[in-house]
Amino acid sequence: MKQFLVLFSLAFLGASLCVWWLSGFIPWFLLPDFPFLAVVYSGLFVPGVAGFLCALPPALFREITTSAPSWSMFLGSMALYFASREIGRRFLLRNEPSLLSAVVSLLAAESFSVVLLLSLSGARPFSILWGAQEAVRIAWTSLIAVPVFLDLSVRWRRVKE
Amino acid sequence: MGSFFRNWWRLLVTVALLVAAIQVFVRPSSTLERAEPVRAAGVVLFRPLYSAADFLRGGLSGVWNRYVALVGVSRENERLRKEVTELRESLHATRDAVLENRRLKELLSYSQTVERRTLGARVVGHDVSPWFRAIFLGTGSEAGIESGMSVITPYGAVGRIHKVHPGLSEVLLVTDGRFAADVMVERSRVRAIAEGVGGNFCRLKYVSPTQDVAVGDRIVFSGFDGSMPKGVLLGTVVSVDRPKESLFQKVKVQGAVNFQDAEEVMVILSRPSVPFRAVKD
Repeated sequence: MKQFLVLFSLAFLGASLCVWWLSGFIPWFLLPDFPFLAVVYSGLFVPGVAGFLCALPPALFREITTSAPSWSMFLGSMALYFASREIGRRFLLRNEPSLLSAVVSLLAAESFSVVLLLSLSGARPFSILWGAQEAVRIAWTSLIAVPVFLDLSVRWRRVKE
Repeated sequence: MGSFFRNWWRLLVTVALLVAAIQVFVRPSSTLERAEPVRAAGVVLFRPLYSAADFLRGGLSGVWNRYVALVGVSRENERLRKEVTELRESLHATRDAVLENRRLKELLSYSQTVERRTLGARVVGHDVSPWFRAIFLGTGSEAGIESGMSVITPYGAVGRIHKVHPGLSEVLLVTDGRFAADVMVERSRVRAIAEGVGGNFCRLKYVSPTQDVAVGDRIVFSGFDGSMPKGVLLGTVVSVDRPKESLFQKVKVQGAVNFQDAEEVMVILSRPSVPFRAVKD
């Protein structure tokens, strides 16, 4: 329950901060995707059904605050949860470089998939400048993810002990 | 076989969910409309936060406009007086043309299109995802807003309503890659399809090299496809490229509205009329 509440708050306050409070002042590529981080953390560190339940609210928040076709972002986020669970089970070592590479690869894979889908559907709103900005967003979000994930997992371990 | 599924079920679920997401992305399903109450519940959770943000922004901009921004007001006043004088002169010059236009319209029994009912709405947030360009309005279905309605400002077009919730609407901006509409060059009446390309830009498609488009031309919506009312400004041409090997010109248009700064917009509640479309019984 505690983990659920912590991840719910992280996703809710993070999304609110970025979408409703800072979006008019700060460019999009400097705003980290907190619901994304909550989904990935649920997959990597929260085992079993609890992890699945923890991932549901952030996935819903992503669905509401992104103008993708209805429910595609929710389904995509749940796919992200299962992918991160698989990564957590098979590859993840709990140190900074492996966490960083896991988050970077998930962010890059998601971005590449959406770009590919949009390009296949005929829309091409992407340029070199956009690519650079997206690289900054991925780097920035991943750099935030590492201390947040390590801190949360250490605290959770202490609570369990 | 059983052990394979036990080992790899997460990956299989990931693939299944991705396929479902792609399917929904490419062809939105009507069966998912049943899950709308879940989304509406999520929007209700966010409402106090975006209302508070809207209230604070309104207060701050009020303080700024009433006190801080008045510093250069006398200089601006002088400039505006000069501008009014010039505009009066040009008004006199165009009055004859207006009267002539009115007479011609009467002659052609020009029927006035449906009166536009508009609704003012405040911008409460922006889509911060890298792939889509959208803004959120703090007014939703309770005010009669529906998907597909046009959103404009006095400076030009903003976009189209994409999704509507109680107390919140989502506007797909004209610069989003999924936006396309029938437009024309105001000066030469050349028609084209405008498509969003991100940033604050659109491009014009299907403009042949012989057609007259120049940098600085104003691009307005033609109204023929019913996506926007006729005459609403889309933006100004910033570059025209005529590649030798291509069938069409590459025309880039800068949007008339700066979406980052837009605070209030108007939603046109009456759907745009589509002239010459056959009525289906």
